[in-house]
Amino acid sequence: MNKQGQILLVVLLLLSTGFLISNQSPTPKLLVIPTNFPAPTYDISKNPLTEEGFALGRKLFYDPLLSKDGSISCASCHQQDAAFIQADHDLSHGVDDRLGKRNALPIFNAIFRKSFFWDGGVPKLDFVPINPIENELEMDEKMDNVVHKLNASAKYRSLFKNAFSVDTISSKEVLHAFSQFMYAMISANSKYDRYVRKENTLLDKEELAGLSLFKGKCSSCHSTDLFTDDSFRNNGLDNDQAKDKGREEITLNVSDRAKFKVPSLRNVALTAPYMHDGRFNSLEEVMDHYDSGVKNSSSLDAQLKSGTRLGIPLSAVEKKQLILFLNTLTDSTLINNKNFSNQKH
Amino acid sequence: MKNKLLLLAGFAVISLVSNAQSVTLQFQNLFNGAPLSFDQLYQTPMGDSVKFSTLNYFISNIELVDKKGKSYKIPQDSSYFLLKHQMDSSKTIHLANIPAGKYQQLVFTIGVDSVRNTLDVSKRTGALDVGAAARGMYWVWNSGYIFFKLEGKTINQVDSLRKNFRYHIGGYGGYDSKTINNIKLRAIPLKSLVVKKGKTPIITIDVAVERFFNSIIPVKILEHPSVMWGDFSVKLANNYEQIFNLGGIKYE
Repeated sequence: MNKQGQILLVVLLLLSTGFLISNQSPTPKLLVIPTNFPAPTYDISKNPLTEEGFALGRKLFYDPLLSKDGSISCASCHQQDAAFIQADHDLSHGVDDRLGKRNALPIFNAIFRKSFFWDGGVPKLDFVPINPIENELEMDEKMDNVVHKLNASAKYRSLFKNAFSVDTISSKEVLHAFSQFMYAMISANSKYDRYVRKENTLLDKEELAGLSLFKGKCSSCHSTDLFTDDSFRNNGLDNDQAKDKGREEITLNVSDRAKFKVPSLRNVALTAPYMHDGRFNSLEEVMDHYDSGVKNSSSLDAQLKSGTRLGIPLSAVEKKQLILFLNTLTDSTLINNKNFSNQKH
Repeated sequence: MKNKLLLLAGFAVISLVSNAQSVTLQFQNLFNGAPLSFDQLYQTPMGDSVKFSTLNYFISNIELVDKKGKSYKIPQDSSYFLLKHQMDSSKTIHLANIPAGKYQQLVFTIGVDSVRNTLDVSKRTGALDVGAAARGMYWVWNSGYIFFKLEGKTINQVDSLRKNFRYHIGGYGGYDSKTINNIKLRAIPLKSLVVKKGKTPIITIDVAVERFFNSIIPVKILEHPSVMWGDFSVKLANNYEQIFNLGGIKYE
């Protein structure tokens, strides 16, 4: 670049810096990563957590403006008292009471996820909200229209200005606000967490027996303290005629037929019904499935086959102990934390 | 916006003081050699009667290659364009600051490269903005841009029955599992393109839409009325890669 060009660029840089300083900067918000968790996958440096950005993400999360007819918000299918899933619904319900294709997954601990949704079709957290917004069976809206609606609101324009120093709202700020709300939603304060972090909490004899069983029989897939390895597996719900192709819909690879994301088991006592299609209503039914209900198919996970025996043998006592242990993964501070609740004004 | 204007002003000044020159690319959608019209009924080479309603495609990563094989690449951040048939202005691309010289080849991607398909949302501005220009050109459930979109109706000549067809072609190879890659790098020989001060070259790229249906493999619409994320999309991408060719070069 020639000299005039260089000088001009310097002037431009100075101008743009001045432009930013003239606005009030948002207040940084502290994020604590639990000591027993793996490293986050989300790059926070590209979208640093601020009080204003987080509060804006929360407001969007609870705002039915995001849906085509203003009837549903994200919180319709991700309810705080049900650990951010839709209680008592096997499939998520969208506008006009349309029935979604799969059972809503919880959204906490998103900052650690390697991919999103049951089939992993979205690899980046920032792009998660557009999926339910534009899905015809869910909010059936278009992202550009959401941006228009937000720009038409003086209240939102002012909130976006405070959080991101912009006069005109674009999809980038909308998605960054959503991500801040979601990535700050860390659930790590269950009885089990306090026990492993040695915070004056003990598990009782039955729960410890359950933990020991869990480590031997379940933790190869539900691994780490996130209780998932974030992989896609076929856990034997159906034979080769599975209706939902799962991960194969994304990779187009037949070996991924009917494989689904291994879900985290955190707060699992609160998130019934279970599986991608919500077919099991209780943890007892889930235990029975792994013990005696596993069906064979060409993509069945190898860990659910030993010789001709399918599934994971579990006695009645073992099932009970496992469930008692899974109950220790409930984080009541997540469902009661007012920070994640709808602010009524 | 303010910053953008300043940057534009900056570029304008830079180009005044150097030898660089702008080059214009003009994409011309044609059917059997005549400008494509959505009002007209056409016959595909495979004998289907069709009326089109959508034709959008991404053109990105534009390069000009000189005699010695040296390539000038348009800076990444300003090298993504979404061309929509119904929006005339979108079919003209102005490339600023092309160094003076003689060029023999124009290279571009039909679609969006894999990196840009996975970059942070702050790098998805302009043509790539999923909440603005790129409406309808992004798969929300299977993150990635739709590279080429052709839609319309086919009309049965016997009973006048209409059937919609939809071709949404994308696929950048997959993020964490390998899958279909429909990114097409198209190199177009130019014979000789002269870039020098005082004259703006206008390169016309002809897009022969009728050849979408037969350039490599024949496509009967009723056999494949809806092609999106699936194996057949590879064949359609191979077909449309061939339909982008040099129309001509003139100087203004």
